[in-house]
Amino acid sequence: MSQIRNFITFVLSRPGAAFGLALLLLQVVAIVFAPLLATHAPTEADPLASLQPPSGTHWLGTDVSGMDIYSRIIYATRVNLLISIVAVAVAFVIGVPVGLVVGYYRGWASTFVMRVFDFIQSFPVFVLGMALVSVMGQEIWNVAIVLAVLFVPIFARLIRAEALSLRDRPFIAAARCSGATDGQIMFRHILPNALTPAIVQISISIGMAILLTAGLSFIGAGVRMPLPEWGLMVSVGSQQMILGVWWVALFPGLAIVFSVLSFALMADALRDYVDPRRERA
Amino acid sequence: MEVQDRKPLLETRDLSVAFGDKTVLHGVSLQLRPDEVLGIVGETGAGKSVLARALIDLLPGKGRISGGNVQIGGRELRQMSASELRQLRGGGVALIGTDAKSLLDPVRPVGEQVADVLRAHKGLSGAAAHDAAVSLFAKVGIVDPEKRAQAYPHQLSGGMAQRVIIAMALIAEPRVILADDATLGLDATIQVQVLDLLVARCREAGMGAIIITHDLGIVARYCDRVAIMREGRIVEEGATAGFLHHPATAYGTELLASARARPAPMVRSGRGQQPAKAASLLEVVNLVKHFPTPSGHVVKAVDDVSFAVPRGETLALVGESGSGKTTVGQCLVRLLGSDSGKVQFDGRDILTLPDRDFRPLRRNIQMVFQEPYVALNPRWTVARLIAEPLALDPTMTSPTARKARVLEMLDLVRLPARLAEAYPHALTAGEQKRVGMARALATRPDFVVFDEPTTALDIRVRAQIIDLVRELQREMHLATLFITHDLNSVRSLAHNVAVMRHGKIVEIGETERIFANPQHDYTRMLLGAELPIERYAA
Amino acid sequence: MSFSTTWRRLPRTLRIVLTRLPMVVPQMLGVIFVTFMLVRLLPGDPALLMLGNMATPESIANLREQLGLDGSLWQQFVHYLGGVLQGDLGVSLFTSNPVAVDLMERAPATLELIFYAMILTILIAVAIAVLAVVRPGGVADYVSRFYGMAAGAIPDFWVGLLLIFFLFSTLGIAAAPFGRIDPMIAAPPTVTGFYTFDAVIAGDFAALKSAAGRLLLPVLTLTIVNAGALMKMTKTTFAEIWKSDFIRHQRASGLSQGRIVRNALRNSLPPIITLVGFLVGFLLGAAVLVETIFSWGGLGQYAVQAVTYSDYPALQGFVLVAAVFILVVYLIVDILYELADPRIQV
Repeated sequence: MSQIRNFITFVLSRPGAAFGLALLLLQVVAIVFAPLLATHAPTEADPLASLQPPSGTHWLGTDVSGMDIYSRIIYATRVNLLISIVAVAVAFVIGVPVGLVVGYYRGWASTFVMRVFDFIQSFPVFVLGMALVSVMGQEIWNVAIVLAVLFVPIFARLIRAEALSLRDRPFIAAARCSGATDGQIMFRHILPNALTPAIVQISISIGMAILLTAGLSFIGAGVRMPLPEWGLMVSVGSQQMILGVWWVALFPGLAIVFSVLSFALMADALRDYVDPRRERA
Repeated sequence: MEVQDRKPLLETRDLSVAFGDKTVLHGVSLQLRPDEVLGIVGETGAGKSVLARALIDLLPGKGRISGGNVQIGGRELRQMSASELRQLRGGGVALIGTDAKSLLDPVRPVGEQVADVLRAHKGLSGAAAHDAAVSLFAKVGIVDPEKRAQAYPHQLSGGMAQRVIIAMALIAEPRVILADDATLGLDATIQVQVLDLLVARCREAGMGAIIITHDLGIVARYCDRVAIMREGRIVEEGATAGFLHHPATAYGTELLASARARPAPMVRSGRGQQPAKAASLLEVVNLVKHFPTPSGHVVKAVDDVSFAVPRGETLALVGESGSGKTTVGQCLVRLLGSDSGKVQFDGRDILTLPDRDFRPLRRNIQMVFQEPYVALNPRWTVARLIAEPLALDPTMTSPTARKARVLEMLDLVRLPARLAEAYPHALTAGEQKRVGMARALATRPDFVVFDEPTTALDIRVRAQIIDLVRELQREMHLATLFITHDLNSVRSLAHNVAVMRHGKIVEIGETERIFANPQHDYTRMLLGAELPIERYAA
Repeated sequence: MSFSTTWRRLPRTLRIVLTRLPMVVPQMLGVIFVTFMLVRLLPGDPALLMLGNMATPESIANLREQLGLDGSLWQQFVHYLGGVLQGDLGVSLFTSNPVAVDLMERAPATLELIFYAMILTILIAVAIAVLAVVRPGGVADYVSRFYGMAAGAIPDFWVGLLLIFFLFSTLGIAAAPFGRIDPMIAAPPTVTGFYTFDAVIAGDFAALKSAAGRLLLPVLTLTIVNAGALMKMTKTTFAEIWKSDFIRHQRASGLSQGRIVRNALRNSLPPIITLVGFLVGFLLGAAVLVETIFSWGGLGQYAVQAVTYSDYPALQGFVLVAAVFILVVYLIVDILYELADPRIQV
């Protein structure tokens, strides 16, 4: 736990990372206290109030169905982050052990698994995501599952690369000399050393997942109306953009930017924190 | 004698270098005269490389000259323009570094790279520069220079690559050569060839050379004058002969003493060429290990090797890189599978045992690994590392017993008990080596393999490790196999020695006898390439 | 003469290509299999789902036959495979044209877009990355840090919309986001399918001007986001090489800065080639989004249409073509990579 405290201190000492942490906390607050923070119900449509610019009642304006944009943005935090975090968590839990085993044992089974992953990754990510969600049905869980499937190869590959480079290091040979079994070597020696890049990748992947979810929803292959989701909100506002109605698409887009930014900044902070070359006070 | 001839090629006056606000060099004053070879000796952290880089104004990162000055050929470094500095590098002072292959551009043929340096200093055409490079290759002893010039760095051997680097340094006809640990990692025979070549070329052209090293043997053989550095200062400076016979400072004396071989270990078993087989703890019979390469060619790393190690005695396995000695060690502890042969340990053939049956035997057969830092899991504490093999000992199940054993081992290798909770990166190289030994000895094995125990250690640390190993041999009555290319250490540590070459043992016998009276040509060559300080010092 | 000696006598380029080619066939088969399975992921009867509850049994049976849904899985796959190899990708439920024809018509639009986006992206990304590394603390360095961070967080579809809003709606500088060319101007006769190239070939200046103008915003959209990502990765690779021992040695040997930068770039080439390969993949995905916003009429818009109208044959066809395209790109990238790095043994 002192590790976490050290990390927080480290983050607070750097303006960029501190900003990211602040944004992250903001999102947590938005998730937990959404009903308190929102001014309207997120799916409450009011056709008479359609396309109103930001005002006292609707802080960020309304969209074409008259739904309050500000409230929807707040509630959308839950949707976007939930999908992304679940997807990445699942991908991590599956990908890491697979990568470990595949990196440690060489042989046709390992090669086969890697070929399968190569294969999944040879489809353009967005195209594959689009096709899968469209075919499986646009439920929020399907989006998460599809994202998880797309991310498993990333984690597996990362851990595998680490395992491959670590398995030939002398300290592994020394452990074997000291009587460690294969399992002990994989999980007690290799894994603790290989986890670091994977943890950084978690943060990066969450950011990617948010962008992907938004993109998929934008073209109609993700979440469906009237669920509040940032990409969906941008798509609703896209037709109006040309007509000069800017607020419907702008604000949800900004939400995406700040959300993904927060995860990217955290990832950078993590990377710098675990860098052995850093001077530790 | 002309006055110009006596003017120093290179001079530093009270030079200080700092990184940020940390001063690394303090008031260094040196001179290099024409046709002179100056040796700079020091341990890690002495500042030798920083000095070399300061001389060509290529200090890394936040380094800057914080005091004093550097004069090259009479001109002050700080007053030179950017383009003059560029001309200076390679054209006035040429730098040769460690690990030649890493200094070469991996995606271009080496001939072109050398030609580039020439063209950067003298505006020659591509073809003319290429020809000059090829003819220089011939002069530095590269066979088949035309063909070699088109090779890529990864296709060259270590010694060949170093010759290319030397050619690169010589081609623009500089006045000074700076060799910064240029032969680190090279086999002794190659090292001698390379240094002979370098010094000969320098003398031929009337150049000056600065050889930076931590090997006093090199200094003794090649350098006219020597400067001893310690923690950023020059501690002692003068003619080499003078230093070797009467060092002026306590530090100098200590270094010299550490470089000498320690006394030989006591002989245990009877006289004779081969160790007595009856008392052998370990007997290797006709061991074979081949490695198939992708091109179909088979590398015979271990080609029918046989030897024996009696209880409580030490056998040194010496040879250059590629001799197969490391592979033998790995086969003995079954980190590699062997192709054929027998290894009798205490009467049992351990090569044919299934893994499950061999594991308990690991209690008695242990290995100390070569590179200290990478042999320790960076995320485990010292205590956990040392305790790991105790899982093999059925009597060591309680945590208290294990803890006690760990402390015992730390004491045995002369490390303070507080280091038990430290992580490897917090330890010095010498301390890491000791931890490696503590771990290997934790189960009180009968037999230990030491893989390159003294390589890449500073002068004094090396002496300390050698002393420690001698104590351990005595106290624990170990049977040991030393795998090393450091012949000097063999004298102090091994009762018997076996010389390996290309996978075979070419000579084997008592250490004293072999050193005094080598039978095989190869052994003679190896011994000739060693630079024992005794040969030069009083 | 043994096989290995004959092998070694072939020029290295040829050896690289020959090693890579056999891998393509199983990969292609795999791609076809996955797109085949895609439709089978649909819960329930795909034909029924597509046609709805009101459909007659005959139309369902027809559709089933068309989709090849009768028979065992293996039979279905063979049927599908046979079709694909003959160029038959089924018939679009929405346009009623053969999918293959639909795709062929729209491919040049997407390719032209990706082509220009790629060139611009690579130029900007590499230039900023190299400058940032070679001159630390300079303008390029600061720009690269902010740009790299920001670009990764910005959704490309949002950027496109903003660009339309500012440059078209508000300032009126850019062309209208309604397709590849002004509807009043006739498209140039098709030679390559690229309006810009074809206009130059035909000497039609008005068409060139219009097509180029319309390309501006979508290409800019694609570039802004992707150049950031490429720049960040290039910077990492280049910086590592810039700090390497052999570059330092070149500096110590007195080579000029320009020469050293060139050598460092040459060394960075293999990883950059790989990154460009990934870039094409990203661009293809991004094109789907961008084409929708700009009514581009390319493959991307077709795909979105397929999703919206549950036009599964069209979707299948699109995924297949996209995957095959990427496969070919990766093949070329792999070959170029091995060509560029002499250390790789073939």
